[in-house]
Amino acid sequence: MSKFADIQIDPAIVRRAARGDARAHEIIYRAFATPVYSICLRFTRSPAQAEDLVQETFIEIMRSIGKFRGEAALGSWIRRIAVSKALMFLRSAWTARSQSLGENWDDEIAGDAVSHGVSRHPDEAIDLDAALADLPSVSRTVVWLHDVEGFTHKEIAKLMGRSESFSKSQLSRAYQRLRPLLSTGDAESAATDALRSF
Amino acid sequence: MVSDTKDEEMICGLTVDERDALRRELRELPDTMPPRVVWNRIREQAEAEGLLQKPTAARSTRWMTGLAIAASVVLAVILLPTLTSSPELDTTITEPQVDATDSDLGLTALQALMVQSRRLESDLRAMPEEPRVMRASTVATIADIENAIAAIDFQLNDPSVRMTEEETELFWRERVRLMKSLVQLRYAQAQRTSF
Repeated sequence: MSKFADIQIDPAIVRRAARGDARAHEIIYRAFATPVYSICLRFTRSPAQAEDLVQETFIEIMRSIGKFRGEAALGSWIRRIAVSKALMFLRSAWTARSQSLGENWDDEIAGDAVSHGVSRHPDEAIDLDAALADLPSVSRTVVWLHDVEGFTHKEIAKLMGRSESFSKSQLSRAYQRLRPLLSTGDAESAATDALRSF
Repeated sequence: MVSDTKDEEMICGLTVDERDALRRELRELPDTMPPRVVWNRIREQAEAEGLLQKPTAARSTRWMTGLAIAASVVLAVILLPTLTSSPELDTTITEPQVDATDSDLGLTALQALMVQSRRLESDLRAMPEEPRVMRASTVATIADIENAIAAIDFQLNDPSVRMTEEETELFWRERVRLMKSLVQLRYAQAQRTSF
């Protein structure tokens, strides 16, 4: 499950926050800042942009917490705001680059593996974190929402304003890129076994 | 969340084991803590937009002094069981004692408590930064202790509040006790994250 779900906040603190209590908001911030920042950083890969999105997210929380009725978990509610803010940013960034959420893998801007110094050499490609960062932003976002945050394709499609098949397609293409990482261990084992036979 | 159907697994081109392994590894990727300055920026914007309540000025009446003392004592009684049962605190919280060296130097009990409080502040500053991931209950406990210390400091530093020496000593004793709890909690946290 998502890390947001593991964080529990006392309902009394939420009620205090709804009254504008600064200390209660700080408690909520300190509990959720790391997962919110992490998800924003995963989506944008830019610390400065992620910081701005954290700020926007928590300001939105302060504006809206009075409407939070506790029907869903606070973590799910906060995650929804953070994801919404991050996707809004990505959409604007894509728009600014005259880039559509196209279905074509090759149309996506390639990940900045080169600028981050990530090699595609199999020995170095075992770093899943780097491989994830190497994915095009749309695919990386879909993988994260689906496999880590537990959103369904239907929910992802709604969030991104696209079809379910678009979400599935992006996930499938991301898996194709990440699949070699999963077989690296097998290849290493096979090589080790081969060496032992001498 | 409703999990997707088996058809999707076929579309994705991974075996179930491969996909499960990938999901597991993705979920285990480390989180990143935002820089401390971010909260300051949020707070400034929130205050500018009137989203946060301004702290109300405390009235410097005699009964408030008594109330503050009672509140801090009650808080300490409430917090102690919480602290001792926290998984991040495996050391026993002990009653702060006046150091023998301080007594040897001829300090009064009040002066010794002040020195001890300063030492604990110094210990706290020397602690490594808070870990990236903390239990929400620990966050709340730390915040409660810090709140209580702030309330005591407010009383101790309010020139309009006149306290007897006995009351002042009670406040300082309570401050030392809370500081000690905070230091021990942070120390246990630091030990836990260092492994």
